Amino acid sequence: MGSLEGIITGFQTAFSIEAIFFVLLGVFAGTIIGMLPGLGPISAIAVMIPMTFGMDASIALIMMAGVYYGAIFGGSTSSILLNAPGVSGTVATAFDGYPMAQQGKAGKALAIAAISSFVGGTVSVILLMLLAPALSSVAISFGPPAYFALMVLGLTAIASLSEGSTIKALISAVAGFMVVTIGIDPQTGTQRFTFGNINLLEGLDFLVIALGLFALAEVCSLVLNRKDESIKNAHNIGSLKLGKKDFKEMSGPMSRHSILGFILGVLPGAGATIASFIAYITEKKISKKPEEFGKGSVKGLAAPETANNAATSGAFVPLLSLGIPGSGTTAVMLGAFLVLGVQPGPMLMTDRPEIFWGIIASMYIGNIFLLILNLPLIPYFAKILKIPRPLLISLVIMFSMIGVYAISFNTFDLYMLLLFGVIGFIMRLFAFPAPPFILAFILGGMLEQSFRQSLTISNGSLMIFITNPISLALLIISLLSFVIPIIQQLRKTKQRG
Amino acid sequence: MKKYLLLIMLAALMLFAVACSSGDEETSGTSNDASTKESTDDASSGDWTPEESIEIVAPAGAGGGWDTTARMAAQVFTEEGIIDENIGVVNKEGGGGAVGWAYIAGFEGNAHKLFVASPPLVFIPLNGQSEYSHEDFTPLANLIADYAAFAVRDDAEWDNLNDLFEDMKEDPESITVVGTSSPGSMDHMQFVQIAKAAGVDITKIKYVSAQDAGGLTQILNGSADVYSTGVAETVEQVKAGNIKVLGVTSEERLEGEILEDFPTAIEQGIDETFINWRGFFGPANMDPAAVAYYEEKFKELSDSDAFAEIRAQFGWDELYMNSEEYSQFLDEQREEVQVLLDELGLAKQ
Repeated sequence: MGSLEGIITGFQTAFSIEAIFFVLLGVFAGTIIGMLPGLGPISAIAVMIPMTFGMDASIALIMMAGVYYGAIFGGSTSSILLNAPGVSGTVATAFDGYPMAQQGKAGKALAIAAISSFVGGTVSVILLMLLAPALSSVAISFGPPAYFALMVLGLTAIASLSEGSTIKALISAVAGFMVVTIGIDPQTGTQRFTFGNINLLEGLDFLVIALGLFALAEVCSLVLNRKDESIKNAHNIGSLKLGKKDFKEMSGPMSRHSILGFILGVLPGAGATIASFIAYITEKKISKKPEEFGKGSVKGLAAPETANNAATSGAFVPLLSLGIPGSGTTAVMLGAFLVLGVQPGPMLMTDRPEIFWGIIASMYIGNIFLLILNLPLIPYFAKILKIPRPLLISLVIMFSMIGVYAISFNTFDLYMLLLFGVIGFIMRLFAFPAPPFILAFILGGMLEQSFRQSLTISNGSLMIFITNPISLALLIISLLSFVIPIIQQLRKTKQRG
Repeated sequence: MKKYLLLIMLAALMLFAVACSSGDEETSGTSNDASTKESTDDASSGDWTPEESIEIVAPAGAGGGWDTTARMAAQVFTEEGIIDENIGVVNKEGGGGAVGWAYIAGFEGNAHKLFVASPPLVFIPLNGQSEYSHEDFTPLANLIADYAAFAVRDDAEWDNLNDLFEDMKEDPESITVVGTSSPGSMDHMQFVQIAKAAGVDITKIKYVSAQDAGGLTQILNGSADVYSTGVAETVEQVKAGNIKVLGVTSEERLEGEILEDFPTAIEQGIDETFINWRGFFGPANMDPAAVAYYEEKFKELSDSDAFAEIRAQFGWDELYMNSEEYSQFLDEQREEVQVLLDELGLAKQ
């Protein structure tokens, strides 16, 4: 069967009444799950697996895919309104989304997030449809040295994520690296920094850190600064309407990061979180007004929101065309495929074109639904900010707790959440930025593992990072992005002097 | 007015959150409507029957081998009416199983808490990563067997295990083996066991651990050379012509379309097998009547057509053992593994 015929079959599947209904159900559930901090698509899909028994496999998978990208879409809402990232892919959204909401422009921020998500989602689905079969070779092109280099590139961002003191940003990043080493080391099986506590064997979950450092630390500041007049503004939702100027500003990041996000999504293990961070940093680096970032920049919000949705579609490339799950969520989806009697892998496209193309085609519909569903609801979501502050603060604490508990049903995680809330608050008091900490935490695990895997493979020779062309290219880019700002700085001082 | 609307919305969201989280604990597949209420108390069930819902712990995340085994067993138990009580599957992830084991160990004598296990229950305590071993629990019944497969890229120079092992004897530094688990656990030890039988110096084997299916990626892009994994994981890639399987660790050839083409290690002259057994355990000091009850129910499950279908779907083999056979089997396994770990220097000091 030719691939055109396959695409047509896929569209027929996706446009059946039943499929449309379940896409709608999936994205709606996804939006809500994404909005609630901690309740991620992983647990939602795992819960759905037994429910889909007896359903047509393509319909069931279309619905689960809807939950997945719906959650990334919805996750931005709580990041923007409450500084409490709903899913890990939307941490970077809070950097500019939350300040924007604090300035009384919550409506606008949510609208920007919804539109960039829609564009990122739709562009990447088109790329997915055109390139999925061809991209499977890209998905496996990254060996351990290349992943190491990619993580190094991500790390060069630490400097640009810092407001003010670079030293403090670096200290914060080092702390992030230290925290991520907690748990069993996969390369030796040795326990590190677990202090004999079995709850630490698996290390700390990303959400524990993110909700602690962002949501709870913010709650502490709100309580402390409750008399501050400037936050009174935050009650205003502002207009939803985006002006021509806003669209003009968004168009650049949206087009760039639809593609960048998609490519990073295709790489197994990179995913929406890393894509959103790298998009944010890239945008800041190329911006003419980097000083606006972190204070409610339109570009700074559009970039990660586009990239995380684009990456979600990208993650379907290795899953559908190779049977390789690139993230926790796609790993659970792989399980769902098996339970439904579908074997994802290189043969899926020819054996079950209605599933392969059906899922992809349904994403067009899903993204349109998400936009229609989200835009009219924005004023209602944004009203959360009108809740009296004491009540709102309690709700944030409660949702963060529920979310963290839902990860593994372990009360130990709740204490860790509180601990990181306190750490986050102390960091704020002494002006240590939290983003470098979280970035180091995200990148650190893979950075270390891929470095050690590479060295095992090369019998200890560092040359492996230079002889591998992808790794070499990425390392050169990292070096440049590190050196160029220094040179520019030197020139400026020279001109002045 | 609008304020109330908002509150109602929030309440709905919270309900949803609670429903989702509890859903994870209670899921046991479809409700009882399919189960015709027949023969609750068979004469042969002994005098123990469950009085409350049964909880099966999968000591890993959703979607893995333990989770799938537990959910499938729970589903057939319910749908076929083998057990009338509700059965919930709970994920207790962490430490390669250690977190789940510690949880169960806290319910001594409780016959309503079970967990699913496989060879890591033998490996991990011997590595010193868990204070609990199979002896701290009551083996109820083994249900299925799975086997290891060793795969290489389709264009690799080796066509059988002997070619590979010859090269490993000559130049162990040039060959990298990749698997998902950490050294001293399953993917590593299954390879070590077969390699040792073939006369390879197992202390020189270069093993890399790659999470999240990274092992397959590393084989496909040539970063690593040999992929030590489960048989089922290789089938689609073999069909697509991306990899070839040099050997599997079963006694005899497996059944099934692609599976039957995989040569065993034994037929290549390497007299060794590795069984990835999967079965169910309860806490220590379980009532013997309850053990007898579960033995019988698992036997019924194993013999049912519905479970046979599931075995075929996932490529599992039937391997039923009752409690006593299981204990003995586990003791033997532990002795074999201890020898290997001692030689590798990975055993607990």
